[in-house]
Amino acid sequence: MRTLLALALCALTGHAALAQHEIVAAVVDDKGKPVADAVVVAVPADGGLRLPTRRDAVIDQVDKEFTPKVNAILVGTPVIFPNHDNVRHHVYSFSPAKRFELPLYAGVPAQPVVFDTAGVVVLGCNIHDWMVGYIYVSESPYFAKTRADGKAVIADLPPRNYVVRVWHPQLEGSEAATKRNVDVTGKRRVDVEWTLKLKSELRVRRSPVGEHNGHY
Amino acid sequence: MNVQPILRPACRPRDAAGARAAAWVLSTLLCTAGPAYAEWFYDAHAGGLYDDNLTRAQQAADVRGDGAATLAASGGWFYAPSGTDGTTLSLEANSEAYARFHGLNLISIGGSAGYRHKFGLGRDVPWASIIFSAAHDDFRGDIRDGDRIEARLEVGKRLSDNFDASVGIATDRRFASNDQPVVPGISGKPFDIRGHSVFARAAYDVTERLQVGARVSARRGDVVSTTRQNLDIFLASDAIAADPTFGSDFYAYRLRGTTTAADATLSWALSDRSSLNLSYGVARTAAYDDLNYLSRLGTIVLAFRY
Repeated sequence: MRTLLALALCALTGHAALAQHEIVAAVVDDKGKPVADAVVVAVPADGGLRLPTRRDAVIDQVDKEFTPKVNAILVGTPVIFPNHDNVRHHVYSFSPAKRFELPLYAGVPAQPVVFDTAGVVVLGCNIHDWMVGYIYVSESPYFAKTRADGKAVIADLPPRNYVVRVWHPQLEGSEAATKRNVDVTGKRRVDVEWTLKLKSELRVRRSPVGEHNGHY
Repeated sequence: MNVQPILRPACRPRDAAGARAAAWVLSTLLCTAGPAYAEWFYDAHAGGLYDDNLTRAQQAADVRGDGAATLAASGGWFYAPSGTDGTTLSLEANSEAYARFHGLNLISIGGSAGYRHKFGLGRDVPWASIIFSAAHDDFRGDIRDGDRIEARLEVGKRLSDNFDASVGIATDRRFASNDQPVVPGISGKPFDIRGHSVFARAAYDVTERLQVGARVSARRGDVVSTTRQNLDIFLASDAIAADPTFGSDFYAYRLRGTTTAADATLSWALSDRSSLNLSYGVARTAAYDDLNYLSRLGTIVLAFRY
């Protein structure tokens, strides 16, 4: 009988240790419209981070645009920039988190670019000025990007307290101002909502401008 | 035409060989497949215009305004030989059909070659470009037919995320095809003209879709004013021809003059490949002490790029 109780206790304890929690984030703008491409990051409040094995990420170039436009990766992730257009691109970034340049190329560059500092990296192409892409380099492995419905799920969270924040390319104000303390030790699923104020996206215009030259 | 014959210096020698050579070079280059990784593009513009002083006349009785439907198409390729350089070659066709003055109806075929250099890496580094263009204009009224060439040098810089500005100089030359003198000793090619310009332009993105553009320019060179018989203009002109487009008693006079122009454009992006554009421009020409004329041009253009 004691053995059976011990086994049952072990099973329950083991199950509790393995039980994973999730944060379901919902992000809307100040008009209540869902915000896609917002990056939600959860950092353990006690600072203890165990980084998983890094896997390469891919940021494509299709129809002279970065695809996806917003990417979230873990710090230290190597990123490959394949060019699937039939023209060449010249990819660069001046962002403090990663300054780099991939001189004019077609196809797949031989070496990936390793993003070893947390922060936001803005990508550009020196040939096609309208091309802009963003890489959010997270110091925490717990992050997700909102879908078109403005929702993102950070799954497989160990039961702890987290500081959760949101970033978006058009975020008005600082990312730090979005911080929330979220306790996921009690419930398996915790819902958190953010209302963000967004700036207009003013990137270099791609569409043509129609002009007519007058006569003398 | 009842005017006194006046002895004048011989007409400036004009030769269309340059324009024809430029057109030939452009068309030959365009008929090639283009370099590897060349980026092909196709543009189409459709719309309308209204010009309130097509005659470029000073006297109200001579001023004629009209509206036209416009259609233009171009195609070509862009090639970047390096990360900071770009070359463009294109063929262009343009047409205008006027409501009243059918002699101005135009079909134009031409091409352009351009080179652009960015002084570094990034969206906001300064850039410089040079563009050569050549075209043949075929009007319903033969007197305006001819070949034209233009060279334009421009430097610019993106001053902020939503503000772009540039300045430039240009030189233009037009070779009239037909010589139809009406006064002995005076050229009958009033539309055989040349000029030099300076210009500045800026574009401001008000929102993600709306762009406001402005352009100012000053051009010194030949201008053509069409009026009824006018002794003052006759004395100042160095080429005259009958211009039946506006009536049997109208004559086109070539004069030296300075044209200052300003225009504004509102461009609404319908998509990444199309836009709706409204523009309004005013041009004031001072041909000599007593001849000043004003013209206003309004346009609406639907632009597509593929």
